[in-house]
Amino acid sequence: MSWTREALTDRVYEILREDLLSVGEDFTPRSNLIEAGLDSLAVTQLLLAIEESTGVWVDESLLTEETLASAESLAACVHAQIARA
Amino acid sequence: MPKSRAPERVPLTGADCFLRAFDSEVRRTGGSSHLAQLALRLGPGLDARALAKLIAEVAEAQPILRAPIRRPYGLLPPEFRLDLAARAPMPRVEIHDLPRADGEAPIPPLFAERLNERVDGRRGELLRCDVVRYDGGAAGSDVAFTWLHMLLDGSGSERFVRWLDEVGRGARSAAELPDEAPSHSARPDARAHGEAAMRWRARMRSFSARSPRSLAGPLARTPQRLEVDLATFTREESASIAARARKLAGFLTPMLFYLAASVRAHDAVFRLRGIDPHSFVVPLPVNLRAKGAGGEIFGTRVSMLWFQVFPESCADFETLLGELKAQRLAAIKEGMVEAGTAAMDYARWLPRGAYARMARRSFGGELCSFFFAYTDECLPGMTSFLGAPIRNAFHAPSVPPSPGSVAVFSLRDGRLNLSHVRQAGVFSGFELVRFRRSLRADLLGEPE
Repeated sequence: MSWTREALTDRVYEILREDLLSVGEDFTPRSNLIEAGLDSLAVTQLLLAIEESTGVWVDESLLTEETLASAESLAACVHAQIARA
Repeated sequence: MPKSRAPERVPLTGADCFLRAFDSEVRRTGGSSHLAQLALRLGPGLDARALAKLIAEVAEAQPILRAPIRRPYGLLPPEFRLDLAARAPMPRVEIHDLPRADGEAPIPPLFAERLNERVDGRRGELLRCDVVRYDGGAAGSDVAFTWLHMLLDGSGSERFVRWLDEVGRGARSAAELPDEAPSHSARPDARAHGEAAMRWRARMRSFSARSPRSLAGPLARTPQRLEVDLATFTREESASIAARARKLAGFLTPMLFYLAASVRAHDAVFRLRGIDPHSFVVPLPVNLRAKGAGGEIFGTRVSMLWFQVFPESCADFETLLGELKAQRLAAIKEGMVEAGTAAMDYARWLPRGAYARMARRSFGGELCSFFFAYTDECLPGMTSFLGAPIRNAFHAPSVPPSPGSVAVFSLRDGRLNLSHVRQAGVFSGFELVRFRRSLRADLLGEPE
């Protein structure tokens, strides 16, 4: 499957919302992930789930305050990584 | 705990039982109890008597704070007996006065002494608080909360202090806890749980091919006395260390950076002694509270990720860090966080002595090489406690006679704290200097 940036955003958002974070209705694809409670364990579980969906492992060194600013920015990072793969 | 109807009994978590086994181990070998401590260094403004009253009030409203810990029929998993709390003693609060210090006062030796006191969880002696006032409080105060470790974990203790402050300021009632889910009694799928526990056991057994040694050596029945050191780095040093941690270990996994530095510091002492450590086996606590929720206060809500590294990986800091990163990722991928929880859950059914015996048998009499924790920012966003500005805050857990050494890193307002708690005699004075030099060099990336 080829992943568009929008589809990746939806998938990342879905994993965060359904499986990893305990968040309310105000959590959106633009919400800050660190402020929403994403920690080191959750982010690794997220990367594993992304790998399961896309087949691409996102190098943890790419995770920064900027890439973890939101599901959208993280999806953009994953999308770039897929494009390079 | 549900807010509407308080339960009469709260089962201990698997991790609580893990710590309860340490308590048994410490007592069996001539020590006091397995305790933990959170210390606050405050500016002026604390009314110590009001704090004493507040603690009595919250202990009345929240019986878990003095609930005897009992094992029903001597066989079933242990419980906090809330129904027996009314007969238990109230948490002790003591106020001590010292003169104003020139410059920053040293941490009161009393705080370390509190970690050396025996308490009886069966009687509900779970929590105490000590306030040291300088110049009657006009020059500030130090406050130490000390508790039987299974009552609160590190994160829970910070939530407790925050909640206490809210109750003290009238922002919350003492009867109202922020978010107490009854996860103690969660009953997972038995088969999956059993398989996970077996996976964990197999992993632990794999470590025994090169069993670890601790600096204390295998357990001995000797009088124990804990010593506590707090090293607080300057803001400039702390910023430099944090940047180095982020660069080398990753934005969200700085704990591996501090773990690598701690492994190498212990290795440096082994090398000084000319002893082969065989391997370093170290557990890393992982907070299991729901991400983004308020989070529970009471009970130990952690799993453990276990690492094993060999002395040959310790020669180079970055090589060691790479090894730890790879092990962490593999362990999470293999479900070792969940497996650790499952194994500890089963251990709730074991007599506490048996639990520790099993652990010791795996590693030739040792529990691990040393204990380690990185608790991130201590009391993030909280600038004052009951009206007094917080100048510093740090954790100091006690450590069983083997491995005899625990390093806890935390941050407070831009400064890195390292609490090094150890059994007296495990490090000689010269070894301690070597340990600190190695740690500092790795943290700052400077030559020793």
